[in-house]
Amino acid sequence: MPQTSAGIIPLRKFGRHDAQISALGFGGHHLGDAPDEKTAVEIVHQAVDGGITFYDNCWEYRMGKTEVWMGAGLKGRREKVFLMTKTCPHGRDGSLALQMLEESLRRLQTDHLDLWQVHGMAFDNDADLFIRAGGAAEALTKAKKDGKVRFVGFTGHQNPKVHLAMLNTGFPFDAVQMPLNAFDASFRSFEQQVLPELTKRGIAVLGMKPLNGHGDAIKNGVITAEEALRYAMSLPVATTITGIDSLEILHQNLQIAQNFTPMSESEMNALRERCKPDAADGRYELYKLSLKFDNPESRLAHGFPLDTQQSEVKDMLGATQNTGHPFPEKQF
Amino acid sequence: MSPKSEFNRRNFIKGAAVLGAAPIFSGAKMVGGSMAQQTEQSQEVPSGVVPKKPLGKTGVQVSAMGLGGYHLGSAETDQAATEIVAKALDHGVTFFDNAWEYHDGLSEERVGKALKGKRDQAFVMTKVCTHGRDKKIAMRMLEESLRRLQTDHLDLWQIHEVVYDNDPDLIFALNGAAEALLAAKQQGKVRFIGFTGHKDPEIHLKMLSHDFPFDTVQMPLNCCDATFRSFETHVLPEATRRGIAALGMKSLGGSGELVRHGAVTPEQGLRYAMSLPVATTISGVDSMQVLDQNLKVAVNFEPLDAAAMKSLREQCRFLASDGRLELFKMTTKYDGKVGREQHHFPTTQELPI
Repeated sequence: MPQTSAGIIPLRKFGRHDAQISALGFGGHHLGDAPDEKTAVEIVHQAVDGGITFYDNCWEYRMGKTEVWMGAGLKGRREKVFLMTKTCPHGRDGSLALQMLEESLRRLQTDHLDLWQVHGMAFDNDADLFIRAGGAAEALTKAKKDGKVRFVGFTGHQNPKVHLAMLNTGFPFDAVQMPLNAFDASFRSFEQQVLPELTKRGIAVLGMKPLNGHGDAIKNGVITAEEALRYAMSLPVATTITGIDSLEILHQNLQIAQNFTPMSESEMNALRERCKPDAADGRYELYKLSLKFDNPESRLAHGFPLDTQQSEVKDMLGATQNTGHPFPEKQF
Repeated sequence: MSPKSEFNRRNFIKGAAVLGAAPIFSGAKMVGGSMAQQTEQSQEVPSGVVPKKPLGKTGVQVSAMGLGGYHLGSAETDQAATEIVAKALDHGVTFFDNAWEYHDGLSEERVGKALKGKRDQAFVMTKVCTHGRDKKIAMRMLEESLRRLQTDHLDLWQIHEVVYDNDPDLIFALNGAAEALLAAKQQGKVRFIGFTGHKDPEIHLKMLSHDFPFDTVQMPLNCCDATFRSFETHVLPEATRRGIAALGMKSLGGSGELVRHGAVTPEQGLRYAMSLPVATTISGVDSMQVLDQNLKVAVNFEPLDAAAMKSLREQCRFLASDGRLELFKMTTKYDGKVGREQHHFPTTQELPI
């Protein structure tokens, strides 16, 4: 058994700040796939006990269900964890973002977040819309000043150029979230284009999609789950967020993370090379090439068409409180 | 539908939610909407012909507007397609676009039928759809295209849909499609060669960087492209510098998106695209109405001046800025079935956007 982690998930520094977070993060979206709230609560309890301190979520995941379930799971354990959620203005006003924050805090049963991020930077003009007068940048600043959030950041999985445009706004981000995996390494690469810039600026790097967001590469035998997760965790990141929807997946991930030893540079190179031919056209990173993996909220705010066969769109359109408008319209 | 010139950012952002909700309520209408519905009832097409322009350095001239082959396959009947082709020819349209994979061959068959006895009046292009496969398959597709088009040679043969990041590598690999282009030219089966794609200016530039003797390169060119991942800005000058003829397409967004969402009128969109330094602007026509609408702009065409071009770009700037009217650059929406199969991508049903 490797000695490095001694059965405990390693803690890492959160960018330029003193805070520490677990090297494996709990992805909130998949929690919504648990069969019921009771199971979800049990998953969260065992994750905390297993040493995961970083919890990811988002205002628009499953129309709020994942925040509610995570809030229930963290009840009485809030001080043990570093809690993040995301706000979803998608170019709309900062005031809307702040209303979403209040709702997230209520659902998560807490009075503050450790990290609050702007969700899903995907479009070429998102950086302009973020930094404009009255935009989401002002909301981040205000929430931090009001003590409702400790740190702020942004997320996105589409395009390294959009991330760089966000950084070029000059806004003082504490964290940035992006896809990092062995396929990304050689296709429209966040690892190549964005990661070094974040390191330079002391911004905490939050990796996501270590298994490519969908497990196709694993199913097709290009890479194993353990290789994929180890690769992502071996990059210079503060944490690697992975989706957890069952106790079985939790135990599998805990096992890998608790026994984590970083890959050597030559191991990482070998894996990049092995994945390169399949990475080259993006077949295993469709989130960079299609909007299907962006929340329908984001598409609506930008005037893009919806795929009415998509489960999240069906949820949105089928919900009783929904009139066919993007759902914040009704609430706010 | 003249777009609002007073568009400011705040209006744009408020408007986004309204536009966003539209597909939910009026999806069927939007999908079925034809470009022609947006215009006033057609008047007579003026007398005169569509002007000719030089095709790069080839010494050949082609009509400033070309007839897109994909939409011809969507025309109601073979007869309707034949009548569209005949009327287009009568008004001086000589450039006929097609692709081996359009409507599983129907588009080529229709053009072949419609040009019977008129082959020498037309400049016939079709595209080869190897999507990374080798020269042998390309040559087989060529024979099939010639048979469907009822001709012994093509005026132009292009590599279709270069849209995946590794396509240039596959095309220029040993025994790849690039070799097929040269072989076909040498055998006298095609006069000129080129490539097409709608996705990413960087992929086009990578193709051009091979210094291959392309005669033509086809790309999306419209008022929105000018400010979003722009082929006009990044590829057109490079093609011109190399003496390669530029062929414009998607002048109204591919299926009239620029018109349907109020960015431009059909006339503005077509005039903008045709005023760029291109050999031709290929426009899809699936009905006589659309043909008439196009001919009214193209017959006796005079290019717009620089100020008018600039003002159209400005008019479209906000709607262009996130790519909502150019989904072919943003999503997999316009990527064809054969290419998806070859690249192991999900089908259109599984991944519609």
